[in-house]
Amino acid sequence: MNRAVSYTAGELAVSGRDNIPSELLSGAGLVYSSPATLAYNSPGAEGYGVKRAALSVPESVMLIVAPGCCGRNTSLVSNMPGYRNRFFYLLMDETDLVTGRHLTKVPEAVSEVVSFLDGLEGAGVPKAVMICITCVDALLGTDMERVARSCETALREAGYKDTRVKPCYMYALTREGNRPPMVHVRQTIYSLLPECRKDPQAVNILGSFAPTRSDDLVSILNSAGYKTIRQLGDITAYDEFMKMGEASLNIVTNPEARAAAEDLRVRLNIPYVELTRVYDAEKIDRQYRSLIKALGAGDINSAEEQRDRARSAAEKLRQQFPETVFAVGSCCNADALELSLSLVRMGFKVSEIYTAIDPAQFVYVRKLAELSGNTRIYCNMEPTMINYDVSASCAHVSVGKDAQYYNPGIAGVSWNSDVQPFGYQGLADLLTQVYDRLREEHR
Amino acid sequence: MKGLRKCLTPFAPDQSGAVSVLYELGGIIVVVDAGGCTGNICGFDEPRWQNSKSAIFSAGLRDMDAILGRDRLLVSKIVSAADRIEARFVAIVGTPVPATIATDYKALKRMLEKQIDLPVITIETNGMRLYDVGETMAYKALIEEFRDRERPSGRNDSKLILGATPLTYGNSYLPMTIEDYYGIDSGIEAVAASTSGIEACKVCGLKYTVECNMAHEYCEEGRLRGRVLVVHDEAFGLTVKNRYKGYCETASFFAHGQRRLDEEDDFTRLVREGGFDTIVADSCLAPLVPFYHGAWVDAPCFAISGRLL
Repeated sequence: MNRAVSYTAGELAVSGRDNIPSELLSGAGLVYSSPATLAYNSPGAEGYGVKRAALSVPESVMLIVAPGCCGRNTSLVSNMPGYRNRFFYLLMDETDLVTGRHLTKVPEAVSEVVSFLDGLEGAGVPKAVMICITCVDALLGTDMERVARSCETALREAGYKDTRVKPCYMYALTREGNRPPMVHVRQTIYSLLPECRKDPQAVNILGSFAPTRSDDLVSILNSAGYKTIRQLGDITAYDEFMKMGEASLNIVTNPEARAAAEDLRVRLNIPYVELTRVYDAEKIDRQYRSLIKALGAGDINSAEEQRDRARSAAEKLRQQFPETVFAVGSCCNADALELSLSLVRMGFKVSEIYTAIDPAQFVYVRKLAELSGNTRIYCNMEPTMINYDVSASCAHVSVGKDAQYYNPGIAGVSWNSDVQPFGYQGLADLLTQVYDRLREEHR
Repeated sequence: MKGLRKCLTPFAPDQSGAVSVLYELGGIIVVVDAGGCTGNICGFDEPRWQNSKSAIFSAGLRDMDAILGRDRLLVSKIVSAADRIEARFVAIVGTPVPATIATDYKALKRMLEKQIDLPVITIETNGMRLYDVGETMAYKALIEEFRDRERPSGRNDSKLILGATPLTYGNSYLPMTIEDYYGIDSGIEAVAASTSGIEACKVCGLKYTVECNMAHEYCEEGRLRGRVLVVHDEAFGLTVKNRYKGYCETASFFAHGQRRLDEEDDFTRLVREGGFDTIVADSCLAPLVPFYHGAWVDAPCFAISGRLL
């Protein structure tokens, strides 16, 4: 039996950025399907995929126009709070695939859905209908923008003149392209924002679909004069969502929101600043100082409370569990390589990392090699992961759902909540959770 | 409106049915998709997946692979995996992407068989049909590929039960091994435990009886009364009908020989016009008939609601 393929950080650093082994690259081979890759294969099965993301628009519903297989797991989301009567389906058959006739049925289907909701007790006319299409229409070259316009015309004729219709593209085929689905869906969502009078004290955080929680970031923005901070995940009414167009600045906390921020810069003249989620306290500090410099206002000391919390959490963990060895996965709210490097810099050990490596992340591999050359890097997708041998690991605690899957017998922190951690607060919360799990394990 | 679903979520598709039959047989199962179909199959339709390993892979197709029809790349990925993983066979399972680009499965099979020393079966599912069709296709492919092999001695032939996968039977499914498909000939008597079992027996020319053990508990004294409607799998319906002494009508979303339901409205109309006293069906169908006030015997069907028995 072949063992699961892995490389040490030292081996990778020697071979270099341009020679990353194919086993560690995304999309180079077959993708092994295990619970550790579920979030990669099917982002909607855990957290936010395109369907749930598009429904972040308050008071919206979705019509999924696709073969039945594409909507099958939507049952999971449909049963979650807040998603009742929000998913509808127009199922494609083989004739649709050949003739494209399903597209002519979409306006009628949208009208029927809106009319149905209008008459349904406890529902009401939706403010937006998101039409979700999938790989099949990607290959057919469907112009869904045009179909969406036809839907709006049909709705106007039916008396629903305020309901917007927007396409969203669940094109798994393009996940490693220039505009992958999770980038595109953000562009779609924010394309609904109208031109508004600017409020110099209003700022948007564009990141995930659930809120980003960081008291330190909020404090710094407050100290720079931004008193109204909006983010999609906090907003429950469509009219309030529209007010995001008033912002005089967008803060991008997830690279997948960059294209949407650029669209808003061009269309609504809202500039943006991009921040990266990191778990290295020094980097967090440097990033906040750069932000203050870019804004021309703000007080670095306003983040003091959370900075001290993070320092205390690190100190407490180091004192109580100084020899802690981590296994770090990529199914968590962190860049697995950056988090591992940060943990090593804090004085801990990282025995395994489970992640595909993008050449842009290689800087972390190189630095890890200097400090922890024997750290082993596996790729969840690699076929030989079916033979992964947990007994080879010496980790005491895992971070990430995938790392938990591979290391079932040790303390585990999944760290993959919908709500997004950020900054010092994120670092403090993570280390506190690790401490708590290790305490439980040692009892 | 045909194809429009306002209440029910889509049912288990053919590709999930195919994988359900192939799971735990020891093969390398390659779902020819970009990842989402594999995620749906494993993360939703395959209850065994969380607790037992099976070599299921996504082909990891990207747009240019599909547009340019890079079959050689797919074959090289499969060969690379087959070289490093122990397996009894390779199964290629279709999805909407190969259906759209008209992938030549026979060519894939031939190309692979030249490069690896394993049997290769292909199942041309397309994600648009239902799970029973995919299961039937998988049974047919397995029987055709392995029926010429010598049946292991001591195997009790009367135990050949087709169609008892988790998609119909939930946790009460009956596990099979690849040897179960060895040496199957027309002399073997099979039990068709679901729609796919019935169809597989038909297409493979096997003698069979229809029996769905899972349905027995629903026929117990006192559970059913008056005019009964059963909406479930075809074998489930037939089993209840054969045991119930009163009037019993059966219909199914997965039927070939019974009254076939396709749309939500078909079920609504059937109940409105049928005058039934008892309905035996998955309770997720109840919102479609708010006017119905008779008895409802909940018979979860995983392929419909995703609820396990």
